Amino acid sequence: VLVLVRSPLPRLRVLLQRCWGRLERGLWPGIFGGQGLPWGPALAVQGPALVPQGISDAGAPNLPESVVWMAAPKQRRTIEVNRCRRRNPNKLIEIKRNIDVCPECGNLKQKHVLCGYCYAKVKEETRLIRMEIYKKEGGPFNAPTVETVVLYEGEKPTEKDEGKRIIERARKRPSWFVQN
Amino acid sequence: SGAAWARGLLNWARPERWLPPGNLFPLSCIHTSTSLQKIGKWEKKNRIVYPPQLPGEPRRPAEIYHCRREIKYSKDKMWYLAKLIKGMSIDQALAQLEFSDKKGAKVIKEVLLEAQEMAVRKHNVEFKSNLHIAESQTGRGRYVKRLRCHGKGMFGMMKISRCHYFVKLVEGPPPPPEPPRTGFDQAKEYVQQLRNRTLVHTL
Repeated sequence: VLVLVRSPLPRLRVLLQRCWGRLERGLWPGIFGGQGLPWGPALAVQGPALVPQGISDAGAPNLPESVVWMAAPKQRRTIEVNRCRRRNPNKLIEIKRNIDVCPECGNLKQKHVLCGYCYAKVKEETRLIRMEIYKKEGGPFNAPTVETVVLYEGEKPTEKDEGKRIIERARKRPSWFVQN
Repeated sequence: SGAAWARGLLNWARPERWLPPGNLFPLSCIHTSTSLQKIGKWEKKNRIVYPPQLPGEPRRPAEIYHCRREIKYSKDKMWYLAKLIKGMSIDQALAQLEFSDKKGAKVIKEVLLEAQEMAVRKHNVEFKSNLHIAESQTGRGRYVKRLRCHGKGMFGMMKISRCHYFVKLVEGPPPPPEPPRTGFDQAKEYVQQLRNRTLVHTL
C-alpha cells in the first residue's frame, strides 16, 4: 500500500537535496558523474553513482515493467483556473424563453407542457370521481363491462346514456368538464 | 451635565441600533427581541434610516435586503442560480426559477416572494412588479463533517455543506444590460492610458 506523506516544508527538502549534491560533488569530485580536477586521461562513465545517494531514492525502479501508469494531476489547479472553468458561459444556466401565460387560469406554463395549476385541478376532481366509483363498486375486481357516465347536480341521464353506469357527484359541473 | 449625559445615552441606545423596527418602547434599553443569536449584517441593512430628502432631489429608490440562512444546498451550485437572476426584474426571475429543475430554485423563489411581500408591506413600495434584483449572492454556511462508509471497512470523511442566500431588491425597472466591450473600446482605452502618462519628480 503506497502511503503519501506530504511534508510541510517541500522547499527546504529541495534545498537540502541541492546542498547534499553539491557536497558530494565537492568531496568525491572524480567519482560523482563527470570530471573533478584534471587528473589525466579518465573514462567518462555515464552510469549509476558508486556513492550511496541519501535523499534522492525512489521506489519506482523496483516495480516490474508491465505495470500500468495511471494519469494523475501534476500541479494543483489554481483558483483562477478553477474559476475560469466553473464560470465559463457553457456551464452557466441558460435562461428559458419558452414560458407563457396560461389563458385559462393566468399562471405561468411552459409552451410544450400542460399548465400545472389546471392539471392539479383536474387531478383533484378525478380523485373524487374515483372515490365515488370505489364506493359504488365496493371492492376490487368489480368493474362493470359497460361504460361510465359522470353526472353532476341537476343533470338527468339522456337517451345516449342508456345502459351505462352512472356516477353522481354532488356539486355543480365544472366549466372545463364538457358534457356530451 | 445630567441632561447632556441622558441625551448621549439615548443617542447610544437609539432604537435602530439594537431593537427591531416598530417597537413600542423605543426609549428603553431592554432587549425585547431574541438577542442570543447574532443578527447578521445583511439583516441590519434594512434598518438604516436616511434623513428626509430635500425638495429638489430625485427620489431615492427603495432598497429591500432579504436573506435566508443555513439552506441545505451547496454554495457553488446555488451560485449558478444567483448568477441567473442577477439584474432581472422580479417577475422574470420568478418565471425562470419556477421552471428550473434545481433544488435551490424552490428556496430562492420563496425568498423572493417573501422579500416582495416585505417590500409592499413595510418598505412603501407601490407596485410589487416594479422591483428588480440588484444583488444576489451566496455564502458559505456551517459545514459538518460526517463519516461515509465504503466497502471493506474503509471510510472517508464527508462534509455536509450548507449555504446562505442574500438578495437585494431595488424599486424601478431593471437597468439595461451593458453592451459588450468591442475592440474599438479597448483600443480607445489603451490610447487614453498612453496619453495619461506623465513625468514624475521633474520640473
